[in-house]
Amino acid sequence: MTGLAHSALVRRDRLWPAVVASVAVHTVLGVLAIQRRGPVFDSAQQPIVARLVRLGEARPKEYLPRKEPEPPPADTGPETAPVTSPEPAAPEPGPGPSARPVPTTRATPGPSTARTGGTRGERRLSNLISGMKQELAAGSPDGDPLGDSGEAVGDQYLARVVRALRRNYRVPSTIGEKERLYLRGTIVLFIEPDGRVLRHEFVKRSGNPVFDEALERAVLDTRLPPPPEDAREAYRRRGLQVDFKI
Amino acid sequence: MRFARLTAACLALTLALATATAAAASADRPRVVVDAPDFHPLPIAVASFLAGGDARAAAEVAGVVRADLARCGLFEVLDPRSFLADPGEGLAAASIKFSRWADVGADGLVKARVSKGPGGFSADLRILDVRAGREVLALTLPATEARDLGHRIADEVVRHYTGEPGIFRTRIAAIRRTRDGRELVVFDADGQNARVLLSEKALLLMPAWHPRGGELLVTSYRSGIPELWRYRFSDKSFRRVNTGHASMGGSWSPDGSRIAFTAIDGNGTDVWTCNPDGRGARRLTTSSALDLSPSWSPDGKKLVFVSDRAGTPQLYVMNADGSQQRRITFQGSYNQTPQWSPRGDLIAFTARDERRVFDVFTISVDGGRIQRLTQDQGRTNEEPSWAPNGRMLAFTSDRSGTPQLLVADPGGDRQTVIASGAELMTPAWGPFPAD
Repeated sequence: MTGLAHSALVRRDRLWPAVVASVAVHTVLGVLAIQRRGPVFDSAQQPIVARLVRLGEARPKEYLPRKEPEPPPADTGPETAPVTSPEPAAPEPGPGPSARPVPTTRATPGPSTARTGGTRGERRLSNLISGMKQELAAGSPDGDPLGDSGEAVGDQYLARVVRALRRNYRVPSTIGEKERLYLRGTIVLFIEPDGRVLRHEFVKRSGNPVFDEALERAVLDTRLPPPPEDAREAYRRRGLQVDFKI
Repeated sequence: MRFARLTAACLALTLALATATAAAASADRPRVVVDAPDFHPLPIAVASFLAGGDARAAAEVAGVVRADLARCGLFEVLDPRSFLADPGEGLAAASIKFSRWADVGADGLVKARVSKGPGGFSADLRILDVRAGREVLALTLPATEARDLGHRIADEVVRHYTGEPGIFRTRIAAIRRTRDGRELVVFDADGQNARVLLSEKALLLMPAWHPRGGELLVTSYRSGIPELWRYRFSDKSFRRVNTGHASMGGSWSPDGSRIAFTAIDGNGTDVWTCNPDGRGARRLTTSSALDLSPSWSPDGKKLVFVSDRAGTPQLYVMNADGSQQRRITFQGSYNQTPQWSPRGDLIAFTARDERRVFDVFTISVDGGRIQRLTQDQGRTNEEPSWAPNGRMLAFTSDRSGTPQLLVADPGGDRQTVIASGAELMTPAWGPFPAD
């Protein structure tokens, strides 16, 4: 045994208290990590999809207003499932010999509709051009067409309730414009832990039976999200007050 | 006595405690506000009408009712081919299987039995609430013609759901260009039943209805210059209104006591008013610019008109005596043909936009908010005229080539061509019928 090896062994003997302390600390940390609850994922939670929108030049104020084009159909993907990072899209194949134009439809006498014919490549080009046109057409540089900042700071559950109710909050056009100005109704919903409405009570009716019926229908047709665990009893016994207005 | 007081005190205490508990629960209760509803047409089913003798007439009446209700924008008229109910189902609520109507999405159900008698037709009409499973209206309507009966039924349906009279028995006057000149034509509100009142080689323009519907005021060049003429339905007379000036674009005041018009004289083009016989003419605008196309507010206290005093034609409002003239449009460089809504809240007008095409717009009288009704539908959509209930507009459009007559709701939805063929211009929607 050489002198160098001997000194190393001597030093190793002196390390044991540090090794024991390290093992103890790691054990404690491991136990803490196991005991601590992990992050709770609510499967019903809808992901917040953020989109950056760059708006074009503001429309000159002296110009007459233009009708905005119909928004594209809502993308149901982000509503129901978390967004996964997409694979890079494969390049679109060129127009094949079997590509045929879609027959053009023209609504008569409604508003003129966009031409839907053309190959896929033409359609992409058309979409690109129309997108550029739209970007240049209108908008306020500091506008926020899709955002709803209020939701971020509010109660997320209540925001989801409002969103769910609003989907079914449909009022017949037969109600006159003047009457719409003062129509209000308040309903208390008693909500089961699974989100079902156990019962509902009118706290205040509007006085217009058609409107009141529309409110009742909105409540009955809506499946609410399950309340948060710590508030389930309160929503079931005390209820949630919903003020409907136009 | 003491026991009674004790009992009363206990009751009061209990009541107070209950009230306080309820108030506390209410105060603690979370609260949300749900607004901005989706306004949607009321889904309504018009069942095949039962025939009391004339099946063809019953089918025609039902067709008219469906078309009227669909056109007005208040209802979503369900396709009869989707109906699941027995076609022979009766009128009484007890005999109706409401679940079958609910299954096709109907909220309202219109049923009728159409009978033909010596004096014409009659309908035993029922309106039913499908969800509640009950009858909400039952009445009998007479009419001399099947189409008129259909319009009467549609009017009653609108009246039931909105509390306002329907417009399906009103008429629309317009000028039609012919090979030889112009015709003054009157259509039913659905564009059917066109009747030529006048056929002139001279230029005819801008008919305007008397508020009670018995007369039309028309601009005619019969004597070589534009003048106001009155056509009376009762005796088919056509008489000149002597205003003392070359005059055009007459408009009756809502009470029929005055006529507002544009006069052209040595002092320029200005807005005047006069009595229906032309006397008592009074000049309301005195600017050196062109002031023209007056239209009355429904209360008769104000007039909207066009003036180019600011350099371009814009809409202005003034009191009926000419005071307090103020500009109301500040967008667009060519705004014209204003028509004040019978509801008083909106003014419809034609405007040329930056692409130099003409479209129909409305502006709110209070806030000045401009809404566009037509866009990218031909090069010229113009000369709007309000239905007497203010829920629809008629206008002309060259979207299919020759200008044709269309109706739409005030948002520009449900645009429907109701008359086409020869060139149609300057439509004027008439008042509610007298009966």
